Amino acid sequence: MTAIQEVVVAPAGPFLSKRMLIILGRCFFAVLLLWAWQWSADEFGMIFFAPPLAVLQRLYEMAISGEMLQHVWATLRVSAIGFVIALVAGLALPFALRLSHRLTEAVEPYVLWSQGIPKYALAPWLILWFGIGDTPKIVIVVLMVFYVIFITTFAGIRAVDRRLINMARILGANETVISREVIWKSMQPFFYSGLKVALPRAVGATIVGEFLVSTQGVGYYIEHARELSDTVGVFAGIVLATGLVLVINGIVEKMERIALAWRPQDREMSH
Amino acid sequence: MTEQTTPPFLEVRNLAKRFATRQGREPSPWVIRDLSFTVNEGEFLTLIGPSGSGKSTLLNMIAQVDVANSGEIVFGGDVIGVSDSKSLRPGLDRRIGYVTQDDNLLPWRTTLDNVLFPLEVQGRLDEKSRAHAETLIKAVGLSGYEKYYPHELSGGMRKRTSLIRTLVYDPPVILMDEPFAAVDAQTRIQLQEDLLRLWEMGRKTIIFVTHDIAEAIALGDRTLVLTKQPTRIASDHKIPFKRPRNVKDIFALEGFATVYETIRKEIQ
Amino acid sequence: MKRYRVLADRIVVLIVLIGLWQLASLYFGTYWVSTPWLTISRFFVSTFSGEMLRHAGYTVEEALVGAVIGAVPAIILPFLLRRMPAWVSVLDPFMVGGYGAPKLALAPLFILWFGIGIESKIALVASVVFFIEYFSTLSGVRSLDAKLVQMAQLVGASESQVARHIVFPGAVPHIFSGLRIALPYGIGAAVIAELISSNRGLGYLVQIGAMNFDITQVFAAILGATVVVLAVGWVVDETEKLLLRWRPPADNALQQVNA
Repeated sequence: MTAIQEVVVAPAGPFLSKRMLIILGRCFFAVLLLWAWQWSADEFGMIFFAPPLAVLQRLYEMAISGEMLQHVWATLRVSAIGFVIALVAGLALPFALRLSHRLTEAVEPYVLWSQGIPKYALAPWLILWFGIGDTPKIVIVVLMVFYVIFITTFAGIRAVDRRLINMARILGANETVISREVIWKSMQPFFYSGLKVALPRAVGATIVGEFLVSTQGVGYYIEHARELSDTVGVFAGIVLATGLVLVINGIVEKMERIALAWRPQDREMSH
Repeated sequence: MTEQTTPPFLEVRNLAKRFATRQGREPSPWVIRDLSFTVNEGEFLTLIGPSGSGKSTLLNMIAQVDVANSGEIVFGGDVIGVSDSKSLRPGLDRRIGYVTQDDNLLPWRTTLDNVLFPLEVQGRLDEKSRAHAETLIKAVGLSGYEKYYPHELSGGMRKRTSLIRTLVYDPPVILMDEPFAAVDAQTRIQLQEDLLRLWEMGRKTIIFVTHDIAEAIALGDRTLVLTKQPTRIASDHKIPFKRPRNVKDIFALEGFATVYETIRKEIQ
Repeated sequence: MKRYRVLADRIVVLIVLIGLWQLASLYFGTYWVSTPWLTISRFFVSTFSGEMLRHAGYTVEEALVGAVIGAVPAIILPFLLRRMPAWVSVLDPFMVGGYGAPKLALAPLFILWFGIGIESKIALVASVVFFIEYFSTLSGVRSLDAKLVQMAQLVGASESQVARHIVFPGAVPHIFSGLRIALPYGIGAAVIAELISSNRGLGYLVQIGAMNFDITQVFAAILGATVVVLAVGWVVDETEKLLLRWRPPADNALQQVNA
């Protein structure tokens, strides 16, 4: 240990060096995963594993030809339409049920039971009924998303601190103001945790819907490639789908952090 | 201001309260029974009682967030029934302010936005009221913390915020439920001094509940001692000390020990 | 009195729902919407003839084997990593990515690798269950009360005793709330894989029904799948209740938030 080394190392401190270690560890792990992928491609053959570089090249070609945008757009369009419909219904219904305790109690078990229906299983029937357009996929997305939003909103409304509502009443707030300023604001954490589940699920549901019936979209691309035994295409499509969902996740998390800056834990995390 | 002959500003008449009885159990005991007292305009009334006496329940009923089983409240010449949950008017049209034991600040609003909240919901937010809010924030030493969220403030600062949130819309009567119970002794004295200074500025009618005898004497014009369950008024003491008072030196005042001892003996 | 009123209200709602279903099938015709009666009777006929049970058993088998393969490492890993927070941090972005990734999109890949038999469904279910269960268990291990560990160390507990007597019981509720979400989701995943390509299972039953334009069979199979999901949820709940008798009763509404 020379003196110079000590001078260089000392200001960094144990905290930073631990941070560096973690980053190094992550890089190492990422390389390990890529290597495992490449190794599998060599070991099991191109039919089962597409090598990473070939997948990358396919993605690049898709991006250049505009094919990628076309599929991503088709998937996002269906997801967005279904999501918005489910969001409106999932938010409005709990606020409406708030007006009648009796109605809430009466419908509660059915809402919980109907949650148990495997929504995707409705797809073949919906396809028979609505044909191969966007409609059956949108219905599936709506069903998948609605429950998440409905239940988080419902739980959020239940968890509102009664004392804050009383306080707002004393200060002269009417019911509309209370709904907007106290209930809506205090259920934000619930709303965002619902959103974090619901948005990726909307995209996931669209992709599964596209497996079953479609002529475009990321799910169609994957399934079509599988039917042609185009393994590189399957991998490229899956990488694309995963990337899409992760980007959406990132956006929701960013939104959440901004909207929930008033919460102690989120503050600490952003520092 | 008020003549001796005018009726009291606010009167509580024969208030009684017991909590709902569960089916098949014995009726629950009375929390409050035959409780009556009056407050004059501009008076600082302190209520003191052992813990477990229905102090918070009493204030909840005056603030109209809780129902009584019987009794009534006379306020500003109106007789107000308090035993029907459907006709309760919390805060009685913004004329009764209530500083609760918990600060109940909205966690997603900054200090300033919390203080402005009542003005906002009452549709009275303008340049003048905003300036008033800023004066109050300055008066309690919260300048510089306007943009902080409640969780970033100390307990004492949160108390000050909740205090001026009520003062900002100028309700003629303010109820206070042990507002300084949860802070340390040092901060408490400061908060008491802040409160007295603010009160000297406007001389609102205040009903202040506490279980701290020194606090009751230091702040009040008059102190009512409450009995344990069922709660009634045990005695009524005029506090003889001149204003403005210095909370820190209250113990040294001549006659403090006598008043303190008298009240202490009456609290069972 | 009140309990009976709630019950009566619920029966009224049930009758209204079934009535709406019946009306829908009258309006659209049984070709598009099967009637409640046809669906229920087909469900029972199919159950007693053994057909429904066979397919349901197949789906349940996929889901259970997949759940075990996915959940066991997901539960063990956070315990192994408890004393190594740096490793948890290293793994974190990969786990978050895996959690967020649309696993159902992997279905074609698994079919490619493992064929249309039971293995591809098991793999899909395992991949779905693993990430949900990992994060639930991790939050359980993390939410551990440091004071309890200190207390145990003060009275002389060894590291493994701390793990067994303090960490594990504390994490059990989290493990279960993970299972409560993961198992129904896993069954859903199995059904989806069967829809895409299979020759057995409830998803296959639905698909075949749709191909033959036998809507009653579609509905009956969906009903069967729903019953399976609810039954598994019930078993998880009851097991949890049995294991967690020491806990004060909590509001269950929150646990179902992510379901």
